[in-house]
This record gives sequence, structure tokens and C-alpha cells, in this order.
Amino acid sequence: MTLLDVSDVTTWFGSKQGPVRAVDGVSLQLDRGRTLGLVGESGSGKSAFVRSIMRLHHPASVARYDGRILFDGTDLAQLGARDLRAYWGPRIGIVFQNPMTSLNPVVRIGRQLTETLRAHLGLDRRAARERAIELLTWVGIADPERRLRAYPHEFSGGMRQRVAIAIALACEPELLIADEPTTALDVTVQTQILALLNRIQRERGMSMIVVTHDLGVVAGIADEVAVMYAGRIVEHGATADVVERPRMPYTGALLASIPRIDAPSQSRLPTIPGRMPSLVAADGARGCPFAPRCAHATDRCVVEQPPLAQDDHGDQSFACWHPLTPASHAPVAQEMES
Amino acid sequence: MAGSGTAHLRAPEDVLLRVEGLEVQFPFGRGQYVHAVSDVSFDLARGETLGLVGESGSGKSTTALAVMRLLRTSASSIHFDGTDLATTEGEELRKLRPRFQMIFQDPASSVNPRRTVSQIVAEPLKLWRRDARDGWKDTVAEMLDAVGLDVEATGDRRAHEFSGGQLQRVCIARALVMQPELLVADEPVSALDVSIQAQIVNLLKDMKDRYGLTMLFIAHDLAVVKNISNRVAVMYVGKLCEIGDVERIYARPAHPYTRALLDSSPRLRVDRSEVAPAVTGDIPSPANPPSGCRFHTRCPHATDVCRREEPVMRQVAADQFMACHHPLVD
Repeated sequence: MTLLDVSDVTTWFGSKQGPVRAVDGVSLQLDRGRTLGLVGESGSGKSAFVRSIMRLHHPASVARYDGRILFDGTDLAQLGARDLRAYWGPRIGIVFQNPMTSLNPVVRIGRQLTETLRAHLGLDRRAARERAIELLTWVGIADPERRLRAYPHEFSGGMRQRVAIAIALACEPELLIADEPTTALDVTVQTQILALLNRIQRERGMSMIVVTHDLGVVAGIADEVAVMYAGRIVEHGATADVVERPRMPYTGALLASIPRIDAPSQSRLPTIPGRMPSLVAADGARGCPFAPRCAHATDRCVVEQPPLAQDDHGDQSFACWHPLTPASHAPVAQEMES
Repeated sequence: MAGSGTAHLRAPEDVLLRVEGLEVQFPFGRGQYVHAVSDVSFDLARGETLGLVGESGSGKSTTALAVMRLLRTSASSIHFDGTDLATTEGEELRKLRPRFQMIFQDPASSVNPRRTVSQIVAEPLKLWRRDARDGWKDTVAEMLDAVGLDVEATGDRRAHEFSGGQLQRVCIARALVMQPELLVADEPVSALDVSIQAQIVNLLKDMKDRYGLTMLFIAHDLAVVKNISNRVAVMYVGKLCEIGDVERIYARPAHPYTRALLDSSPRLRVDRSEVAPAVTGDIPSPANPPSGCRFHTRCPHATDVCRREEPVMRQVAADQFMACHHPLVD
């Protein structure tokens, strides 16, 4: 059953060079109980997009939002700030990259947790405290009664992220958005947090959107992957399909450029020449945004933008006039091995 | 003590850099000290790249700064081509500096925003080649060309006009313009997107071949380190755990911490089966490091001896040394 049905979401930011189209006509659906990995490099619009779902941008920075965001049948795009509050927290939770900036440094952890519970669920002080202890235990924090009295700085980075996850889950939201939840953490701690998110998602059957630049993170946590480039989704499909058989040349090139721990030392890394185009609307070319860097680009790619569509090979969507075929994957694999 | 000893060091005449018993302490009030690096020894043969890995707080960057003689060290020797940098001071040290250079994680914060790219790359020449003023311009153009920047198009531009990857190229050009023998690279690709990261990693390998560099390459990403390094050293809370040939150690890690790091590294394998995290808990603070082996608080194999006694470096294979009481291979 579809929980989130987003269509044609476009987000414009103001800038000195003119309006910037950070998110450019993104459409996707997410079923209940599914985890979507949203990947892309910096400036691809992945964070801007998930924040647009929640209307979380500062009003002064956003020039315009377009599109429809159906969450459980209600169009969030039509709601004002007051009505959105019924969604922020109770129905959609969010975890940010740096828990130090999302937690209040001068308020004890206990109060930050119970505040949410009391505001949204109307629990009294005692019930909120009990629930807070339950939540901390659930996210793997030892000795929760004592830890409720601690301040954020008394926790390590991994523990802070666990607290931030506990707060996001306090009201048992149907959708959890995690924006680079492990980027600031060390790898041994990252594995712990990903295992925690996986467990919670399974136990609660909630939907999750994990935003990350790291395809390795996505491979371990997501059912499906959407790849963003220059504000657009350029490929979307089951994680195994996208990671093992990418159709969009950008996805293929991105995967090839990741150094592999199981590849031999001193192997040459395939690179993508150039860089992502400017998203300032005035500079916007008509064609495929990846065309200037793409090895397969033709004249058509420069003038005509390919839509995100499926072909008869499978249920993967991609935006490309000259998609990679199973045969063209062989050279990519060879390059990585050489 | 975890990770002391010098069994893994090679003959002094075979190496360009030999660091022995490196100690770095930072005061933090009331006569207390954080032991950021504690009795670490390693060496680098000419033309070799040593990857230094470890999580935050392991002392990798402190080690780099100490090697560069940008920090005060105690009770250590840092032999660079026969001269002990730790006891060299003033003009004598200054004269050696062109021979070892460094690049940093964030290129934007390591260049002067008011200077043009040409000025940035020419700065070392200004300090060291006063006599050959005429040649500067050509040297700068050559160097920019070597790192893939066109002097015509980029020479007069300033830092804010560049992306992170291009600016890192400028920093590499500046570091190499004096033709150093040793390049210390502290997380040079960590702040870059993967597609750009691949470009810079390839560039560093090219530069190494072209100029015969010896490189100390610091990163927390084990896959990047494997790609660029010949040997790897693993640090944990200021101590060395394991050092040796990169292929050997990645294939058969002997130290449980190396194993945990390798197991935690994300792989592009789609696998959502419930895997228990390799280690639990967090990295202890170097202000109050655990007794004995510093990894014992998180190690699945820890016993009493690990809590009591610090393991000493010993050899487990041709080029593989580690400090653990209960190694995974023997």
C-alpha cells in the first residue's frame, strides 16, 4: 500500500545568480514498510528533496515549491505550518546528519525526549518519563534512567545519534526520514547505527527514506534505490538491480568510481570527467543534465531531456536515451578488476 | 603496553623515514595530559606509500603533524634521510622543510582566499628560490599542468571560484612544487564526492610515479587506502595495532581491531541479512585510555592478560606485524 506518493516536486531557492532549481520535477512512490535509499553526490538535491517533503526549509530561503506530496492520501503541499505540525513528529520523523546540531546542548536528554511525548501524545510527566526510558532502552542505550539526566555533550557521536533516533521515533511515525544518518560517524559505529535502523524498521513495519552519498550504506539497508543527479531522479529500482545492473550511465560510472575493498591494490579507478552542472535556472540546458560528462551521449541527449521511464527489460526506471544493457556491464566490471 | 615495540622496523639505511617511539601529549588543565600518540613506531622506504588508518581519536592526524614537525613531541626520534627531525631546530630544520610537504583534508581552509592560484603555487618558490625569480612562472605553469589545471584558465582565479576537487589539485601543486621526497597526505579525499575522489586518488598515484614520491597517506576509508598504499598501518587510541603489506593484512588481518574495521567497511553487496556489528560500543577517550591493550574494552577475544599487559609488536608473516595477545592468525 502506498504511503507516500510524490509527483513533480520542484523546489526553487533564491540566489544572487537567480533562482536555483534544486529539485527538478521529482516523482516517486513509497509503500508502507519499505526502505528507500536516496543517493547522489553533493548538490544533487537529495537533501533538498526530502526536506521539501516535510516543508522543512526556512521560508526565506525557498523561492517556490511546486508539485504534489500525497502522504497517506493528504496533500502536504496544500497544508499550512499549523496543520503540518500534526505530521511533523507524530507521522513523519526525521534524523539529521549531525545530532549535535539537532539536539539542544543545554537541555538534558530526558527533557528533550519527554517534551516530544508530552506535546504530541499528551502524556503526563510520569508516563512520558517511563516511555522515554523505554525508548532509550530500545535504541540500545545502557542505564537509561541515569542517562536521562545527561546533556548531549556527555554522549559520544554514536550515542547522540541513538538519542536523535529515539526522539524521531517517540511518536511512532509511519515514515522515518534519515538524512545522512551515519556520515559523521566512524565505520564501526556506522555499522551499529545501520543495524539499529534495520531492526527498528522491521519491528515497527514503518517506511524509511535514507538519504546518503554512500552506495555502500544503501546496499546494506534499502529495499529500493533512487539515484539523484542535478535535482532529478535518474534511476530508480530494486537495490540489487540498481547496484548490480545499473541502466543509467551515471549510476554505472558512479559505481565504478568507488574504490573496492576487495579489488587489488594499485588498480586504476575509473573516473567521471567534469562536474555536475549549475542548477541556476537561466543556465539550464534542455537536454539530459549528465550529457556533458557522459561517454554515451549523442546529439539527442543535448537537446531532449529523457523522461524517467521503464523499458521492457525489467522494472527498473531510468532517465536515459542510451541506457546500459546487460552486455555493456561487462566492460564496467572489467574496468573495476583491472 | 598495546602496540609498542620496534620489531617491525627495517634497517635504517633502507628507509627514508623512520619514526621511533613517537609520543605526543596535549595538556588539558590541572597538569593532566591527553596521550594522543603513545609509543608509535613505523618506517617508510623510498617510493613506498604507507596508508595510516584508524577511527577518529586514533591519533592519525597527530602522527602526521608530528612527522611534519608541526607539533612538539617527547621521547621520540623521527629520522628523515638520516637526520633526526625531533632534535633539529631553527634554520637547520627550515632548510630541510622543502623535502617534506603536506596536503590536508579541507583544501578551502588551507589556501589563502585572497591569493590567486598562481600566487599560491609560487609561494614556496618565493621562499626558497629567490635567486631564480625568472624561472618561477614556468615552474608554476608546469606544476599546474601536471595536476591537470590549465594556467591560462585558472592561474588568476581565487579559491572561491573552484570546486573542492580542483582546489585539492591546487594544494597538491603547491606541495609538490619544491619537489619534495616525502608527501604527507592527511585525509586528502575525505571531503570529496566519490567521482572526484577517484580523480584525486589517481592523480596522487600519477604524481608518486612521476616524481618518485614517498607517501604517508592518512584516511579512514579502508578501500581508498587499499587502492593507493603498498603497506598499511592501523592505529587505535594512540597506539599501533598492526602494520605490513596491504594485500596480506586485508586478506588475513591478525589484530581483532583490524578485522573489525574491515568487517565494518561498507561493501557494495546487497545483503540485508541481520549481521551483528563487528564490535560494540565506542572508541575510548585518549584522555583516559584503557589499561593493557587499549582495544580490550571492545574486543570479543579479550581476556585477563589483555586488561593487564600491553601487547608488543611481533611478526606473524613475511610483512605483517601486530600487537595482540590473541591474534587471529599465527
